[in-house]
Amino acid sequence: MAFNKKFVTGMTFAATISLLAACGGGGGDEGGSEGGSEGGSGEQSTGISIFQSKVEISEQLEAAAEAYTEETGVPVEVIGTTGDDYAQQLQIRLNNGTGPSIFSVQNTEVAERLESYLYDLNDAEFVSNIAPDMELMLDDRLVGVPYGVEGFGIVYNTEMVDPADIQDYDSFVSTLEDFNAEGINGFGLSSEAYFLIGHISNYPFSMQEDPVEFMEQLTNGEVTLTEVEEFQRFGEFMEAIRANTPTPLNTTYDTQVGDFAAGQTAMIHQGNWAAGMLEDFEVDFEYAMAPFPLEGNDKLAVGVGSNWAVNADKDQAEIDAAIEFLDWLHNSETGQRFVVEEFGFIPAMTNIEAGDLDPLSQAVLEASNSGETIPWAHNYYPANVVPNDFTPVAESFFVNEDMTGEELVENLQAAWENAAQ
Amino acid sequence: MACSAFSEKAPNQQCMKVGMSVANRKKIGWYLIFTVPLLLIFTLIVLVPFVIGIYYAFFQWDGIGANPMVFNGLDNFVRLMEDERFLRSTWLTVLFTVLSVITVNAAGLAFALLVTSKLKLANLARTMLFMPYLIGGLILGYIWQFVFLDVFTLIGEVTGFESIFFNWLNNEDFALFALVFVFTWQMAGYVMIVYIAGIQGIPGEVIEAARIDGASGWQRFLRITVPLLMPAFTISLFLTLSYGFKIYDVNLSLTGGGPANATELFAMNIYNEIFGYGNYGYGQAKAIVFFVIIAAITLTQVYITKKKEVEM
Repeated sequence: MAFNKKFVTGMTFAATISLLAACGGGGGDEGGSEGGSEGGSGEQSTGISIFQSKVEISEQLEAAAEAYTEETGVPVEVIGTTGDDYAQQLQIRLNNGTGPSIFSVQNTEVAERLESYLYDLNDAEFVSNIAPDMELMLDDRLVGVPYGVEGFGIVYNTEMVDPADIQDYDSFVSTLEDFNAEGINGFGLSSEAYFLIGHISNYPFSMQEDPVEFMEQLTNGEVTLTEVEEFQRFGEFMEAIRANTPTPLNTTYDTQVGDFAAGQTAMIHQGNWAAGMLEDFEVDFEYAMAPFPLEGNDKLAVGVGSNWAVNADKDQAEIDAAIEFLDWLHNSETGQRFVVEEFGFIPAMTNIEAGDLDPLSQAVLEASNSGETIPWAHNYYPANVVPNDFTPVAESFFVNEDMTGEELVENLQAAWENAAQ
Repeated sequence: MACSAFSEKAPNQQCMKVGMSVANRKKIGWYLIFTVPLLLIFTLIVLVPFVIGIYYAFFQWDGIGANPMVFNGLDNFVRLMEDERFLRSTWLTVLFTVLSVITVNAAGLAFALLVTSKLKLANLARTMLFMPYLIGGLILGYIWQFVFLDVFTLIGEVTGFESIFFNWLNNEDFALFALVFVFTWQMAGYVMIVYIAGIQGIPGEVIEAARIDGASGWQRFLRITVPLLMPAFTISLFLTLSYGFKIYDVNLSLTGGGPANATELFAMNIYNEIFGYGNYGYGQAKAIVFFVIIAAITLTQVYITKKKEVEM
């Protein structure tokens, strides 16, 4: 009996301790990476972790990380991402101390919020190779290294669509009507925030003379969107799209691109990043990218999709290791090969040659080189306005057939005001 | 004065007391062994964040550790009284909870009666009905997304009842019912288990006596089973009420709050406020109000149903 009691007590005690230890282990992760400096000063190399927002390159980045570990022995952990909620996930990680050493910063709006976590990369060697004006600056601190140049527009199947048929509103709409009559999806959007409204809402903003100034005026209540011609036309375009295509709310990025690859969709609104998936499908037709013909627009929307940033909250050893990884990615042969071939990025670095590009990236590169582009206005939107405020508006536009394009634009304005306050 | 075991033969008060307290102390030791670890975890994971959360509710803060927190008193609480999106979310949550408490308990009770009857496949049915509960809410949401998107539209096309069978998730009015439907499908099996336990606890003699007295099946159910099931009702209603109010996983995976925020329930509204808009303090204020509402409603419910419980 006495033995039993002691035994049970001991067991319970042990269980308790192990529980506590387990809890301590959770916190230890943070301690581990923070305490990495001691490890780093020793012979052990400091591991780094990467948490980035581009779902399309997740697997490729993991492969790059493996290659890097093989070459240098530095362990790299790639934390999986889910896309739309990246900003939330990043915030949670930064706050609870499990923040990654390298993360993505989409634009200046986000950079301002995360200012204290952004390490000044001015002194890193490789940043001198960033193409002019492509770096993400916060005052005079260089806080973001561009992923690459990206562009979006109408991705179309050249066997089904003649680019001459989508050059203005009338021809675009009649093309959609023809496809609709044949039972083919003429123009595919998808339900994710940026693919539903985020990217396509760029056009009326980007076509303003000075988009950034225009957006400031909008925030200050000096302009009303419904009075601006580009927005009126945008509303009409959206009405035509809703009337002649299946609802995008039933579609995900995968099915959107998949249906296009299967020839069930003639055009999709996507960017050059979709080419990777199209190559995976081994599509047997040619595809190309055309400008979205709002108000006769003949330029692709080209910008920097995201930027690599280094977490300033980490100890110096880990920061150095992170910078070294970025250096490797942009300077070494293997790293550059990953950026160009595997990630499919159009490099925004002067020392990286664009490789053998897919047709979509080629179109973006040509547009970028010739300067015939419109900027990405959504990089200057109020933080998170696309998933928070624009998406519900677009959803209600697509489920309510009686909501007009003008009402859509009115609601977008209200959404903007809500986000910018 | 030694209180050895032998002194039991000649007990005096002093010794009795000490003896008892030794026994008590031993018992307390046991209690501690079992409760302290749990208590520690509960404190660390529930109580501490709760208290810190109350503290944050009085600040304007974007939730990023390095950014400044500005004390703004009760402003957050005043603001949420005028927040239309929050009020709409409140109404949706109440509607959702009321509907699902009814459907979950009705279905659960019906299933329980079914599988405790002399049905041949009772055991199999019991397992099958409980199974949905074992599937995680997230996965369940994605499965049903597919069902609503493909199966429902297909049924609609085949049978011609397209006004009933269409993709509910793309309709601002029906999306909430879709949520109730899936939640019921998930939870009914769980409360069924509670009701089964209750039904099996009802002595056969009572029912038999009633039958001999000439009570019909319905009368037996209403006059005997239901009153004797009151403890099960207390538990089931409490569980479904609080689960319903707190639902997040199915909400996230099935509708994501859409279309157009038509299914953005309490928990999701708070999450979006904190992480989407970056209003950490304001979101915490919402969470506190949310807690008070749930606590008030569930405690009232427990109080009322407890009073209705009868002793045999």
